[in-house]
Amino acid sequence: MPQHQGARLVLSQGQAAAILLLPFLTIYAVFLVYPFFKGVWISLHDWNLMAVAFNPDAKAYVGLSNYERVMWGSNITWGAWASPAFQFIGLAGAVASAWLYRTGRAGKVTALAMGGAALLLFVLPGFHPGEGGRWYDRRFWPTVGNTILFVGLAVPGVTITAMLLAAALDGETRAKAVLRTLFFLSQVLSVTVVTLIWQIMFSPRQGLIANLTQLFGGSPIVWLTAEGFAMASIVIATIWWSLGIAMILFLAGIQDISKDLYEAGALDNATGAKAFWYITLPNLKRTITLVVVLQIILHFQVFGQSHLMTNGGPNDTTQVLVRYIYQTAFRDSELGRASAMAVFLFVIMGGFSILQFVLGREKDQ
Amino acid sequence: MKHVILGATALTLLATSAVAQEVTLGRFFGDCEDAGTDTSASVGEACIIQSIINAADAEIDGLSINTLPTDWGNYYDQIVAAYAGGTPPNVHVMHRHRVPEFANIGALADLTDDLEGAGIDPSDWEPAALEAVTYNERIVGVPMDIHANLWHVNMDLMEAAGLVEDGAPILPSSPEEMLEHARMVQEATGQDYLAADFAEFPIGVRVALALIWQQGANIFEGDTATIDTEETRNAISAITQLFDAGLSNPQLNYADSQQAFLNGEAAVLVNGTWVVDFYAAEAARDDEGLNSYFVADFPTLFDEGATWADSHMWAIPSPVKANDPDTYATALQVLAFINDHNLDWARTGHMAVRTSVLESAEYAALPHREEYTGTADIARDTPPSVRYGAIQDALNRELQAIWLTGKSVDAALADAQSDVQDLLDR
Amino acid sequence: MNRSYYWLIFGLSVPAFIWLVPTVWMVSLSFQPNELLARTTSSTALGLIPIPFTPDNYIALFRFGQVPMWFLNSLIVSVGMTLAVLAVSTTAGYALARLEFPLKTPIIILCLMGLMVPEQAVFIPLYTMFADWGWHNSHHALIMPRVAVPIGVFLMLQFFKAIPKDIEEAARIDGVGWLQIFWYVMLPLARPAMMTLAILTFLYAWNDYLWPLVSAQQREYFTITLGLASIQANFAQAEGLGRVMASGVVASLPVVVLFLIFQRYVVRAMTAGGTKG
Repeated sequence: MPQHQGARLVLSQGQAAAILLLPFLTIYAVFLVYPFFKGVWISLHDWNLMAVAFNPDAKAYVGLSNYERVMWGSNITWGAWASPAFQFIGLAGAVASAWLYRTGRAGKVTALAMGGAALLLFVLPGFHPGEGGRWYDRRFWPTVGNTILFVGLAVPGVTITAMLLAAALDGETRAKAVLRTLFFLSQVLSVTVVTLIWQIMFSPRQGLIANLTQLFGGSPIVWLTAEGFAMASIVIATIWWSLGIAMILFLAGIQDISKDLYEAGALDNATGAKAFWYITLPNLKRTITLVVVLQIILHFQVFGQSHLMTNGGPNDTTQVLVRYIYQTAFRDSELGRASAMAVFLFVIMGGFSILQFVLGREKDQ
Repeated sequence: MKHVILGATALTLLATSAVAQEVTLGRFFGDCEDAGTDTSASVGEACIIQSIINAADAEIDGLSINTLPTDWGNYYDQIVAAYAGGTPPNVHVMHRHRVPEFANIGALADLTDDLEGAGIDPSDWEPAALEAVTYNERIVGVPMDIHANLWHVNMDLMEAAGLVEDGAPILPSSPEEMLEHARMVQEATGQDYLAADFAEFPIGVRVALALIWQQGANIFEGDTATIDTEETRNAISAITQLFDAGLSNPQLNYADSQQAFLNGEAAVLVNGTWVVDFYAAEAARDDEGLNSYFVADFPTLFDEGATWADSHMWAIPSPVKANDPDTYATALQVLAFINDHNLDWARTGHMAVRTSVLESAEYAALPHREEYTGTADIARDTPPSVRYGAIQDALNRELQAIWLTGKSVDAALADAQSDVQDLLDR
Repeated sequence: MNRSYYWLIFGLSVPAFIWLVPTVWMVSLSFQPNELLARTTSSTALGLIPIPFTPDNYIALFRFGQVPMWFLNSLIVSVGMTLAVLAVSTTAGYALARLEFPLKTPIIILCLMGLMVPEQAVFIPLYTMFADWGWHNSHHALIMPRVAVPIGVFLMLQFFKAIPKDIEEAARIDGVGWLQIFWYVMLPLARPAMMTLAILTFLYAWNDYLWPLVSAQQREYFTITLGLASIQANFAQAEGLGRVMASGVVASLPVVVLFLIFQRYVVRAMTAGGTKG
C-alpha cells in the first residue's frame, strides 16, 4: 500500500468519520426520523387515507382528539379494585421489588424499573367508565390486554423451553448436533408458512390434532374458534416457530460458563438437574434477561399469527394491537386514529427498550 | 417469468402491427393458473373468471391483461392501499356494498355515457343489477351477477328423515318447525340438520340478517342503529336453539362446514350461489358423503321472504378515465367482454344480470337452476353505507361472541348497537 | 458416553419428533390429490405418509410461474437488504466506535433512540411518503425502511469497540489512512460479526409480512411470504389444500437447504453475536 499513503492521509479523522457516517445518517433521517415525526403529525389530524389521496386538502387538524377517541371515554373514574387480578399483581410486584431492594437482592435501577412497571399495572387497569359512561373505543384496551397476554404466554414459553433444550443439547456429539438442527429448523420458515401449517394442524375436521384425538375416541377441539383455545393456538404456533434463536443464545451463554464450575460441582455430587439448578441457572442470568427483553420486544409486535390464523377472533380474543392499527389504517382508512395507536405502541416499546438498556448497563457496572 | 410471457405476447402483437395495450386487472375469487381460454368448460369461480379473462386477452386485438392479486382476505385493504398509493389496477372487481365507500370520494370512473360506445347495453341489465352499480344516478360499474345465500340440501338425509315431497325437500316455515325438522333429521340419521360458517366469514351474520329482514326490520335506518330489538332477538334465538339442542355446530369455519356437508354430516348447508357447480360436481362423484344434491331458496321462517344478497361488479378508477384515455377505452373493452360472457359466469351458480341471458334456454338448462328461481325476488341487503365493511365486522364479532363464547345476547346486542352507532356517527 | 447419555438422547427424540411432525405433514399433504384432501386429510398413517401419491400439485405450481417469481422477489429483497444493511452498519459502526470527531456522543444517542421505534410505529407515514413518491410496488420500497433501523450499527459498534487499540495504532504509525484501516484491517476482522448481522437481517427480510403487505399490491412484487398469505385464504384451502401446501414447501425448501449447508456457520455466528451483544 505504500504508494497510496500520501494521498489518503489528507483525510482527517473528522472527515473520514463524515464519509463513513453519511450513508447511514441520510437513510436514517429520511426513512426513520422523518417518518416518525410525520406519524405524530398525522395522529393530530382527521385523515382519511382514500380521501386525502384524491384531495390532499381533505384532512383537518384535530389536536389530541384522536388520542381521546381511542384511549379515553366519557365519565371515566378510577378505582383500586376495578380490575382486581391485574391490580393485585401490580401491587404485589411493587411490594416485591421494594423488598428485593431492601434485602439487597436487586440493584437500585432494577428495583426502580420493576417497581415502576408494577405500579403502572396497579394504576392503569384501575380506570373504568363510571355510571352511564363508556369508553369511546370499546375495543382498544381489550386489544392491548390481548397483546400483553400473548406476550405473557409466548415469552416464558419460548424462554423456558429454549433454556431447557439448550441445557440438554449442549455438547459436541453428533446426536446432539442433529437434534439442535431439528429444533432450530422451524425458525427459518416464514410467518405465512408457519400459519399455513398450524391453521391446518388445528382444524377440527382436517387437522392432524383432530385426527389424532379421534383416533383415541375423543371429540376434536375447535382450536381456532373456541374462546379458550384460540390464544393458546397462536401461542403454540409462535413457540414452535421462534424457539431457535433463543436456544442458540442460551447455548452460547452456557458455553461461556467455565467448565471448572461444573468440575467443582461434580465433586459435590452436583450433576444433571442439580448442576443445572445450582450452576447453569445462576450463571445464565444475563442471557435470560437478554432473551426475555428481546422476546418481549419481538412478540409485542405480533401480527401475522393473529391476522392469518384467527382473524383476531373469536369475539376479539386474539385481536392484537398491530392488527388493530393495520385494520384502522387500511380497512377503515382512518390514518389519524391508526397513527395515534401507533404512537401508543411506540411509547410501550420505547419503555421496554429503555428498560433493556438500563438493565444492560447495570450488569456492566 | 411473467415478464417473459408478457414480452412474448407483446412481440407477437407487434408482428400483427398492433401495439399491445396492457391493462392491469384486480380481482378476488382465488387463484386458477391453468384456466385456459375455454370459457364454457372451466369449473368454480376462480377458474371461470380467469378463463374469461384469458379469453379476452387472447381474442381482443392489441390487448394484454395483467391479473393482479386474487386473494380474498386482504383484497379491499390492498385495493384501498393501491388507490391511496396512486397505483390502482385499471379494472377491478368489487362488491356492490363497497360502492358508496369508493364512489363517495369520486374514486370510480363515471361510465354512464361510455357504455353504449363500448358495446355494453345497460337496458339489458335487470333493475336490481342496474341499481347495484348506480351511485347518485350515475353508472359507476358493470354488474356481473347477483349472488345470495341458498340452502344447499343433502337429499339422502332429508329423505331418511321423511322431509322430501315430490322430489323437493320440505323446508321449515317457522323457527319452531325448523327445530322439529332438525330433531327429525337427528333421530333418523344421527347427523346435524344445519351447517354454515358461523365462526369465520360473516355467513352467520347473513343468516341472522335474513331472519331480521323476514320480520320487516333492519339493523340500521339512516344514521340510527336499530340492532338491539325484539326482531334481532327472535332471529338469534331461531339460530341458537339449534346450537343449544346440539343439532348444529357453531364452531365450524368456512372450510369445515363445507367439508361437513360434503361428507354427508349435515342435511343443510347455508352458503352462497357461488358453490352450486362445485357441489354438483362433488355430488356426482361416486363415493361416500354427499350424493343427492338439491338447491333451495332460503326458506321464510317469519312473515316475508328475504335472503342476504350482493353483487359482483367491475369498475374503472376515475384517474384512468381522466388521465389515460387509451387505457380507459381498452379497459371498457374488457368490461364489455366480461358482460358478453355473463352466461359463462352464471355457470358458477350465480344469478345472471342480463335479461337476455336470464331468459335464454341455456341459462334455464344450467344444473339445479330451476330449484332456486325464487331467490331473485327475495334478495336483500342492508342499506348502503361507507362503513359497510366495519359494520359487518362488528356484527360478526358480536354474533360470534354469542354462539362461540357464551356472551349474553343482551350484552352482545348492546355492544353491537353502540359499535354500529359509533360507526354511523363517524 | 454412559447410559444416562443415551437416555437423554432417547428422551429428547420424542419432542424432536413432535417438533418435526407439522413440517412432515405439510410435505406429505402436498403430495396427495386435492379431491381426496377435500374430504379427508388422514388417509394413510394420519396423513403423514403420502398415499395415494401424486406430484400434480408441484407440476401445477411450476407450470405457472407465480411461486418461483415470488421466491425470486424474496431473494432480491432479502439479499439487497442484507447487503445494504452491511454496508451502512459497518461504516457507521466503525466511525462511531473508533474515530474521534465533534458531536459523536449526540449522534450515538440519536441513533440509540432509533432503536426504540418499532416498524409498526412508522409504517403508516412511510406508506404515505412512498405513495407521494410513487415508490410502492418496487424492490427498493421493500428494502429501504429496514436499512434505516440502527440495530446493525450498534452490533458493529460493539464489535469494533472490542478490538484492541494496538492493531489500529500499528497501522497509524505506518501512515495508513483511516479509510484504508477500515477497509484492509477492520473489515476482515469483522467477518464473524458481519455474518451474524447478515443472517439476522436475511431472516428478518424473509419473514417480514406487514410492510410488504402494505407496500406491494401488485403480485409482481409480492415476496414469497406475502404470496403465500394470498393463496392460503380459506376459500382456496377448501378446494386446493394440496396445492397450497406444495407452495409452502417450495417456499421453505431453499431456505431450509441454505440453513442446513451453512448451519455450522449460522450457529457459530449467532454465538459470537450473542456473547458480544
